[in-house]
Amino acid sequence: MKEIDNPIEAPVDQSRTNPLARVFDELVRFCRSRSMFMLHYCTGCGAIELPPAMTSRFDMERLGIQPMVTPRQADILLITGYVSIKTLKRVILTYEQMGSPKYVIGICSCTVNGGMYWQSYATAKQLDQYLPVDLYIAGCMPRPEAVLEGMRKLMDRIRSGEADGWKDYYRRYDWYLGNQQHLFGDDWQTPADVIGEASHYDLAEPGTEGEHTRLLQQCQKPLEPQQTFFQIGGSLEKKGESHE
Amino acid sequence: MLVLGRFSYAGKVATVFYGGQLLFLAKMADRIADGAIVTFSLQVELFGLQMSWRFDALSWFFAVITLGAGLLSSWYASGKWGERFRRRGGNLWLLHVALAANVFSMLILLGSGDLLALFIGWELVSWASFLLMTVAGGRAIQAAMRYITYAMSGAMAILAGIVLLWSHAGGLQYAQIIDVMPQLSQAQVWLLVALFGSGFAVKMGLLPLHLWQAAAYAETPGPGAAFFGAISARMGLYAIILVLVQLIGLARLSELTIPFTFLDMRDLWAWIAVLTIILPTYTALRQTDARYLLAWHGIGQGGYMLLGVVLGDALGSAGGLLHVFNYATNQAVLFFAVFAVMFRTGTADLNKLGGLITRMPISFFAMLVGIIGLAGLPPMNGFVSKWFVYRSLMIEGEPLLFLGAIIGTLGTILSVYKLIHNTFLGQLRVEHVEVREAPWSMVAPMIILMLLIFATGVAPGLVLDWVALVQSAVGLPVVENTLGGVELASGSLDMLWVVGVLFAGFGIGALLFYSGGRTRQVHQLDNYAGGHFLTAETRYHYSDNFYAGLMHLIRPWYRGSFVWLESTLGSLLGIAASLMQRLYGARHPSIYLLVTVVATLTWVLL
Repeated sequence: MKEIDNPIEAPVDQSRTNPLARVFDELVRFCRSRSMFMLHYCTGCGAIELPPAMTSRFDMERLGIQPMVTPRQADILLITGYVSIKTLKRVILTYEQMGSPKYVIGICSCTVNGGMYWQSYATAKQLDQYLPVDLYIAGCMPRPEAVLEGMRKLMDRIRSGEADGWKDYYRRYDWYLGNQQHLFGDDWQTPADVIGEASHYDLAEPGTEGEHTRLLQQCQKPLEPQQTFFQIGGSLEKKGESHE
Repeated sequence: MLVLGRFSYAGKVATVFYGGQLLFLAKMADRIADGAIVTFSLQVELFGLQMSWRFDALSWFFAVITLGAGLLSSWYASGKWGERFRRRGGNLWLLHVALAANVFSMLILLGSGDLLALFIGWELVSWASFLLMTVAGGRAIQAAMRYITYAMSGAMAILAGIVLLWSHAGGLQYAQIIDVMPQLSQAQVWLLVALFGSGFAVKMGLLPLHLWQAAAYAETPGPGAAFFGAISARMGLYAIILVLVQLIGLARLSELTIPFTFLDMRDLWAWIAVLTIILPTYTALRQTDARYLLAWHGIGQGGYMLLGVVLGDALGSAGGLLHVFNYATNQAVLFFAVFAVMFRTGTADLNKLGGLITRMPISFFAMLVGIIGLAGLPPMNGFVSKWFVYRSLMIEGEPLLFLGAIIGTLGTILSVYKLIHNTFLGQLRVEHVEVREAPWSMVAPMIILMLLIFATGVAPGLVLDWVALVQSAVGLPVVENTLGGVELASGSLDMLWVVGVLFAGFGIGALLFYSGGRTRQVHQLDNYAGGHFLTAETRYHYSDNFYAGLMHLIRPWYRGSFVWLESTLGSLLGIAASLMQRLYGARHPSIYLLVTVVATLTWVLL
């Protein structure tokens, strides 16, 4: 595996002259940090600590955090334990289906360095090689207090604007994709158009595209384009409609 | 129609013809509104009995719905649908003739001015329905045979009731019967209600005489099914209102107590109505064929109408009568949408469809409007009539009936959601990628009905004016209506406000959505399935065994008791018949001769 150091670049802040210019940014960040829907992709034993964290004793919901069933509406992707290579594909697919801004939390030692599965051939050791992890909650397993502590930390980081792993994924997509291809093979792909999204968010940078994305474009089998044609009437004997 | 039917433009001619009749009715509306009874010049004397035909507000109300349904159904059949039907070997001529025969015989029934004319109209309607049901052949014939068996036994019960009345009143004019009614004993009225009630209940599809209806209506080809679903079964309701409410009177029904219980005859009818709501609705929930699902609902919704009418107060009976109109519009548009899907995809099987919203958006919208109305949700018209019935149940203090009606509505909502979800939402099947929207001749009636459903939902006063006339014609208390609904001391309903608030809510939602920034459309297969990678071949549209959890809970309740009852009756009849045959086939004629002689002598001597 290619070892590449992973410095998170500080976001370029455009200075605005108006002294109140940041008020709305602050407000948006505050609201974001106080209302988070969490998709917990429970892959390992860490999941067992989530029910106490969510239910009445520790009550995560008082912080504005509650579970969500689909990635489209979720803000946090929670990976609770080791990810096998097979699972990692699903995790990446799910991550790419989430709408930005999105945050990834890795719980348990396994997401940090493979933990007790370090020697396993089938386990991805470091989650942040493949996805931009905003926060790790280490431990084997971390107690609910630690989970809550981590959540508060994430809230602080969102409020201060430091939690921007999702931007990093767009800015350095080629690097992440390279690691993914290294693990899954050259024909690895998901339905998401990450490069398109990067330009959608104005985050396309030199690191977004590169040799790995070119490889992806070569191997990609796109989904059949969805036509929404709308025509009343038309010829009767078209294929596929001439049986009753 | 018999002559013109051979030509290709027959459907269009028929449509124009129905339109003309509807115009004629509209002309009649002024006179009806004055409370006048329009009599026809034709009078026939038969065996010394005067037969006459006339239209009062009740007949007029039902006739308008009948002609409207006939008009739109024949319009639907007159274009591409009819072409296809003919090309597939269907007899379009017969279909149009049968439809015209149905409309005509129903008008005769509705115009009947005495019980004899009513009975003749009744028989004509039965046979005309039978004709339309058999057009498709195959399974439809079986269903139609079952129907005609039921209808004939019902007709015999009605005939017995008529004979009973005739022997007391000496004539069959409505006025004579109303005069003689106070002189009849309780037992005689009991018998009358049982005879007429069971006879009319067959057509209406009331429990336990409902088994024929779903299959018979569902197997009828497209426009026929829509016509049947919209109005045909309501002829039973018309007759029930005529005989039980107008001639016998609801007050008289309340006097008939049922032995060993605390119920009276009216409660019994109310409970029959509620059971008719609940049981067929949950049977509909179980159907996997869209046509059958709708047809079963047709039986269930009849219960609301009867319940409202039997309640007998101004609000309840207005709700019941209004539901006749509302339900006719809803059911017609639903059948149109289902047959449009069937026209394009070739199937109405709810497990073999899905995702058609992108291909047939107007049909989807038609079905959406229809199911909102059928489930009784604002802003469509079904909400108003059901609200009336519920409100009336609350005011009259009938918590158990109310609970029953609510349970029925719950079943309705669940099953219509199943209908639209399995047909239009979810994943498009690979074999339906090429499907197009239905042709204009089918879409136009749907659009008209949608507009009608919405307009009478926003301004139910338009129909309530007619309903008030009907109420005064049959002697029920009259509802005080406004354009938006009713004004009552115990809580009013103004749909103009309800709809206004609803759309304001939609507006706020739209504002949030469109001001929320850029949106991005994603591919249908770029969808969350627990992390699975979806392909067009992966079936992730959940339609088979719909409501598995609920079904697990209520499955033990589906016992098929009525089917069992029907087959028991059938086999008992079979046994009786074979016994009779043994008797006839016996080889001892001398014994019969002896018995006959003895019997004759006894009769002569006594």
